[in-house]
Amino acid sequence: MAIKLEKVVATFYEALEEGKILGRKCPKCGNVEFPPVYACNACGSYETEWVELSGNAKLHNIVLPAALSSKPEYKKLGKYCYGEIELEEGARFNGVVRGISKKNRAEISAKLPVPVKAAIFEREGGFKTVVFDLVEE
Amino acid sequence: MKPLGKYSRSVSIIGVGCTPFMYTVDKPETDGLTEGEMFGYAALKAMEDAGVNPQDVDFYFHGCASPLNGSNYLTPNVQIANWFGMKGKGSIHHSEACCTGYLAIEQAVNAIASGKYDCVLTGAVEFGDSTPHPNDSVETPKHPYKRDKMTMDKFLKTTQWLYDRTYTRSLMAGQELIYDDAAEWYVRTRGITPEQMNDTLNWMCINNRRNAAINPLAIVDTTYEDLAKEQGMTQEEYMNSPFNPRMGDFLRAGGIELKCDGAAAALLCATDKIPEIAKNLKHAPIEVLGIGSAACEASTPHFEVRATEEAVRQVYELTGLKGEDLDLFFANDFIITSHLISAEIAGYLPYGEGWKYICDGRTAWDGDRPINTNGGRTAFGHAHAASGLADVYEACKQMWNECGERQVKKLPKTTMLRGYGGAQNVAAVVIRTLDK
Repeated sequence: MAIKLEKVVATFYEALEEGKILGRKCPKCGNVEFPPVYACNACGSYETEWVELSGNAKLHNIVLPAALSSKPEYKKLGKYCYGEIELEEGARFNGVVRGISKKNRAEISAKLPVPVKAAIFEREGGFKTVVFDLVEE
Repeated sequence: MKPLGKYSRSVSIIGVGCTPFMYTVDKPETDGLTEGEMFGYAALKAMEDAGVNPQDVDFYFHGCASPLNGSNYLTPNVQIANWFGMKGKGSIHHSEACCTGYLAIEQAVNAIASGKYDCVLTGAVEFGDSTPHPNDSVETPKHPYKRDKMTMDKFLKTTQWLYDRTYTRSLMAGQELIYDDAAEWYVRTRGITPEQMNDTLNWMCINNRRNAAINPLAIVDTTYEDLAKEQGMTQEEYMNSPFNPRMGDFLRAGGIELKCDGAAAALLCATDKIPEIAKNLKHAPIEVLGIGSAACEASTPHFEVRATEEAVRQVYELTGLKGEDLDLFFANDFIITSHLISAEIAGYLPYGEGWKYICDGRTAWDGDRPINTNGGRTAFGHAHAASGLADVYEACKQMWNECGERQVKKLPKTTMLRGYGGAQNVAAVVIRTLDK
């Protein structure tokens, strides 16, 4: 491999259109970067390579949306929360999880971390993104 | 990361200046003030405070969080130097959003510690509450000084510029977690109840407002106790009423910044050059002992907590200090939860006990662990880039025993300022009064 001037962002969003969720894996230490970027933030390797993600993940905490922290467009999500997502492949980031509300918050909070599964969600503006759904046990 | 290196030479703050934080367009006497007038006032006051002439100042740093939107400038440093006697001198503009005024100290210290300059001005100005007239778009203002009010709705649209366009805005979580992530983290990790967090958030607002009510530079001049009395309520009833509505998962309206207009500046000098440059210095120099820095983009889980832990770790490793060595603490608390979590991460308040100190009023200006004695962002006001330097102004005035009736009980010798902003830069600045 060599350092390349590469359209990582466009490739990520184009893959979502095809139903695939991509990350970048470090060939030196195995760390997976999500969202995908050039270099490895774990070992500092210049290069990472594309990897398709399983979509399996865990949710570590729950913050519910409110007047300040929601937008009209988000109504399409139904009931949802924000929180720290840990992918099966290891990456951790802030994401949206559907299926969580005031009603089941306490019950789910007691079981954290809980399994969640990635889904592809259509945003206003002509692109798709990644959200997660609570996996009912 | 290797430990921070020591500065090549000691650098001290010798003068500070600050405008009132205000809604300039709301009052005839301030409507029409410009960037040069605001920054120039703060800069000249800092020079006067140090007894230094503009011609003794080698270079200046200019901070503004949103210069195109708020000032219609791309190079704001160039446009205003003539206002405070520094025509033709070198300068740099920098912008780290709400962290700008704290990293402004870092810029000046590095420029002096390197040996390049001996005396540097660092200042910031922000019109957080108004934009150049007419303000229908950033391309169109034509009037030389008139400004239009910036509505909260319009302001919130500009805050998306703080977040990564490629992924974070798309994933929808990072930009929304700024309001409640730290509160949720504290509740979960310290084992307190949501009701106790609600009380703690309210008490931070109460303490900030008590501090601001007696500070002539602050944007508010009434306490929550006064506001509650006006409505025939107790303070507790008022804080939990529709007058202080819940806006977030935990956060209430009173815990959100009061965006406004203001400017502040500090003058820094190589400590060994003070006898030559500031011959008539009236107060002890305040040395910058060290500055820890970290930045976590908003897709990073618990970005504020992580960046604060790292910045504090760096500066304590460098200085050998601990939380109990601090006498005074400032936190950029435009979301008021910052006030609790950063003081606890820094060890200024004991782990898991900080919320009790706050609810007992011990962190107000007259308490034994004072925080944000100027009133913080929810009561002093938030002129975004300038807020950090307004905190530096207040810290120095307290450390110089120049705060009169609102002087903290024990004269502070060592202070930490925890800068935060820009989704999210964090700085942990530690300053200490030099012994004579």
